[in-house]
Amino acid sequence: MRAPRPATEAQSAWHAPAPRLRRRQLLLAAASLCACPRVAAAFGEEGAFNPRILLTGTDEWRGARTTAPARWSEELMRRTSAPARLSPTTVRADDPALLAEPFVVWASHKDPDPLSRREVRGLRQFIALGGLLLCDDFEPERGAFARGAKREITRVLPDASPIEIGPENVIFRSFYLLRRAIGRIEGAPKLEAIVRGGAVQVILTGHDLLGALARGAGGVETIDVVPGGARQRELAIRLAVNIAMYLLCSNYKDDQVHAPFLMRRRALGQP
Amino acid sequence: MSSSFALSADLALPYVVAACVLAGLGLALLLLELWRKRDSGVRAGLVAATGVLALAALLVAVLRPVRIHTRGTSAGPAVAVLVDASRSVDLPGDDGRSRREATALALAALGERLAGVRLRVLTFGDGAPKVLEDPRAPRFDAPPERTSDLSAALRAVATSTDEPPNALVVVSDGRLDRPGEDQPGAAARAAAAPLEVPIHTVAVARREPVDAAVRAVRAAGAAVAHQPLRLAVEVACTGGMACGELPITARELHHDGPSLMRASGKARVADGRGVVDLELTLDRAGKRILEIGIDPQPGDQIPGNDRRYLTLDVTRDRVRLLHVAGRPTYDTRALRTWLKSDASVDLVAFFILRTPTDQVNAVGDELALIKFPVDDLFTLHLPSFDAVVLQDFDAEPYGLTRHLPSLASYVKNGGGLIMVGGPNAFVSGHYGRTALASVLPVALDGIAQKDAVDLATFEPVVTPAGRRAPVLGPLRGLLGPGLPPMSGTNVVGDLRPGATALVEHPTRKTPSGKAMPVLALGEYKNGRSIALTVDGAHRLLFSTFAAETSGRAHGAFWDALLGWLMRDPRFEPAVVDLAAPCLAGEEATLRLRSAFGDGAQAKVEVTRMGSGELVRRVDVALPTGDDAAPLPLGKLDAGGYSVKVELADGRAAPSRYDFACEAGGDEWADPRPDPVRLAAIARATGGVALGLDGVDELPLPEAEQVLSERHVRALVPPWLAALVAALLLGGHWIVRRRAGLA
Repeated sequence: MRAPRPATEAQSAWHAPAPRLRRRQLLLAAASLCACPRVAAAFGEEGAFNPRILLTGTDEWRGARTTAPARWSEELMRRTSAPARLSPTTVRADDPALLAEPFVVWASHKDPDPLSRREVRGLRQFIALGGLLLCDDFEPERGAFARGAKREITRVLPDASPIEIGPENVIFRSFYLLRRAIGRIEGAPKLEAIVRGGAVQVILTGHDLLGALARGAGGVETIDVVPGGARQRELAIRLAVNIAMYLLCSNYKDDQVHAPFLMRRRALGQP
Repeated sequence: MSSSFALSADLALPYVVAACVLAGLGLALLLLELWRKRDSGVRAGLVAATGVLALAALLVAVLRPVRIHTRGTSAGPAVAVLVDASRSVDLPGDDGRSRREATALALAALGERLAGVRLRVLTFGDGAPKVLEDPRAPRFDAPPERTSDLSAALRAVATSTDEPPNALVVVSDGRLDRPGEDQPGAAARAAAAPLEVPIHTVAVARREPVDAAVRAVRAAGAAVAHQPLRLAVEVACTGGMACGELPITARELHHDGPSLMRASGKARVADGRGVVDLELTLDRAGKRILEIGIDPQPGDQIPGNDRRYLTLDVTRDRVRLLHVAGRPTYDTRALRTWLKSDASVDLVAFFILRTPTDQVNAVGDELALIKFPVDDLFTLHLPSFDAVVLQDFDAEPYGLTRHLPSLASYVKNGGGLIMVGGPNAFVSGHYGRTALASVLPVALDGIAQKDAVDLATFEPVVTPAGRRAPVLGPLRGLLGPGLPPMSGTNVVGDLRPGATALVEHPTRKTPSGKAMPVLALGEYKNGRSIALTVDGAHRLLFSTFAAETSGRAHGAFWDALLGWLMRDPRFEPAVVDLAAPCLAGEEATLRLRSAFGDGAQAKVEVTRMGSGELVRRVDVALPTGDDAAPLPLGKLDAGGYSVKVELADGRAAPSRYDFACEAGGDEWADPRPDPVRLAAIARATGGVALGLDGVDELPLPEAEQVLSERHVRALVPPWLAALVAALLLGGHWIVRRRAGLA
């Protein structure tokens, strides 16, 4: 008798649909060769996760964390079925290309310059269309960027204010079951977010998430995590994966079919 | 010839009376004057005599009396006979005759009885009565009517501009729609009120036929998909048939294949009547046809009323939709966001978040992943969904392949299917040469895996059908003629028969040389399917292109696709309905109208549900504007029928309309004659209630005189009367003077 083939999301690899994987990788690799933001993506990569870096004012994207977006995509592809751009790009807040995809990461260590009118308008349109903005502070200890980003976001969304979100939010169970937020630094256990129409549209992390993802040549992590340990970096990566999966699936894990199962699993006390 | 006398030919009665009173008053004054004179001699007598003569002559001169000579004929009374031509006339009557035969006998007997009567014979049924062309014919051949509305017929006769009848005669079995069982006499009297004539009745049947029947089927509330519907089924046994317990079944008719048992029960028949409640749940929205039937009973004289057909307009509280995605992408996100935002959609979603080769770097309990319940979903729960969306989903690795035949059956039985493109869809998703491929609107044959996707960016082109199809109307209303460019496509083959391409590839061709479909709609037996070969529809929601419409184009696109899949009338290219409820053996007529209103040509195909037998195939020119084209279907047998209307030139996917023909309908449901009701009508209007053998006793109204000549001649020529009156007045004056009166 032939054994039933377990169709599952959670089980470990038991057979490899090799042609499909090869095709996916080939497609993504082909697309990755073309890093120009204005070039259309290839079939299958059209809707792939792309952690674009948002630039405002005269800022440029430099430094140790420039490898973080690619690492984010790589980890997402390695761990999940989601496609991702291996060579993420940057986009300016006043560039119409901001509206090309629904995700951007605004990250810095310093207080950002006040947004121009065109930048405010661009970001407002981005949010109105349903985009997700992640604000990541490289130096949460100082909090200069976090404060400045909140100030500017208030100009973009004057009628919205951030609230704390914790494990009750779907972001904390969109792929991994997470008990708290964590990045390069441990920081507050919760994230801050602006929720509109039931959907999280702006996430503010005081954890330097990109710092935990950054990697140097040869794959060596270039920025130490605080207080430290591989487990912390792993949990930071998991948070990044969850944010990406929330972006791609929205509140899928809030569906009724998942709820009883996830509640039972949470009750087991796993991280 | 007759003659008569009249005091005046031209003065009205009040003037005649006034003249007579004045004359009498003058005479009284004269007598008073003579009495006061105390003169009773010859002279007084002469005064009195001349005074009376003068007054009489004056009265004659004023009134001018005439003699009238008339000549005329005696006409028979006017009688209107109203004959019941409802469908119950074909039911069995008394003494082995049908009620139609009994009606012919009644008309013959009435013809003899009313020989000297001016007779008008009308049939009644629906609305105003119709003239029976040859009432003396040996057979009563009037076509059966759907109802028996005597009230409407009486009202029409009473308000007609024709000569009002002196009496009405109703020939019927008494099983009338109107007046009903409650106070039929008063209702009939009110309907014929302006006439105030007696209504006599002739009952063509008195005995109940031996019959078991489904008398009525009542639905408690509206039919909603996936929600239990309670039907109260009333059965009856008449004519002494002993039924005891009658098994009852409710079956749903299907387009091509056997009907599906939905509920069954047993009705305990007491005093000839029994009621049973059946509870059933229908999975699909739209027009659904139920056959409610009882087992044939021995001795049943009317087998045609053993089953009734109930056409239900099944609505849906919410569209229950299964969304299965092979991987999370922006396209998945966009579709899910729209589906979740639509309150009318009850969404069950399963996304493959992890492939077997992914390295999650975590133990199972650290993951928020659940097993993809492919077996439960596509066996146990599949019928509960109105539609299934397979988005970029590979059938092979996740065990769907073994369920593709049941998924194809699901579509065949009325389910909806949308396959959305991506690297794991269509041929790449291992759907080629599977049962599911046969229910898609595009062929997948002959496409190798290596050629299964086309990576070239292209701008999709809306086809002529797409430009006219209501399903793309909302999208085109927002976007105009253009569509956003797409980054490649799944490669598919030609359209399947009956499918329509609304959007196509600008350069890529199918094996037959036609443009490759990008968005195609198709109908497969009871279900519908949609093929969308691209994975970039999310660009209608979020892109620089989408920003121009604030992302509303995405919702407009999917709302219309889902609406078409669920047979929302807004997105049907043709509007079809029946001119009147269909009854077996009678002419049935469809009405067809194009949603475009521009005079399209349409191919119409009528098939019998269950067997799929082709009943009619015809090309019809649909009129312009809102007018509907009538399409006679001829006489159909009892059962369910499906009409497929396809507009010519592949303008849009076909529309479908299902209907049922009943053997007798309501008219046969209760076959008992009702002579009591006829008697009540006769009694209330001063008529008599008779049977077939009592027509000779029908009372006749009195004959009427009709004048043909009339001559008027003065008794005394006016000049002579005036002359005599003047002479007598003068003579009276002279006599008075000589008698010493003033």
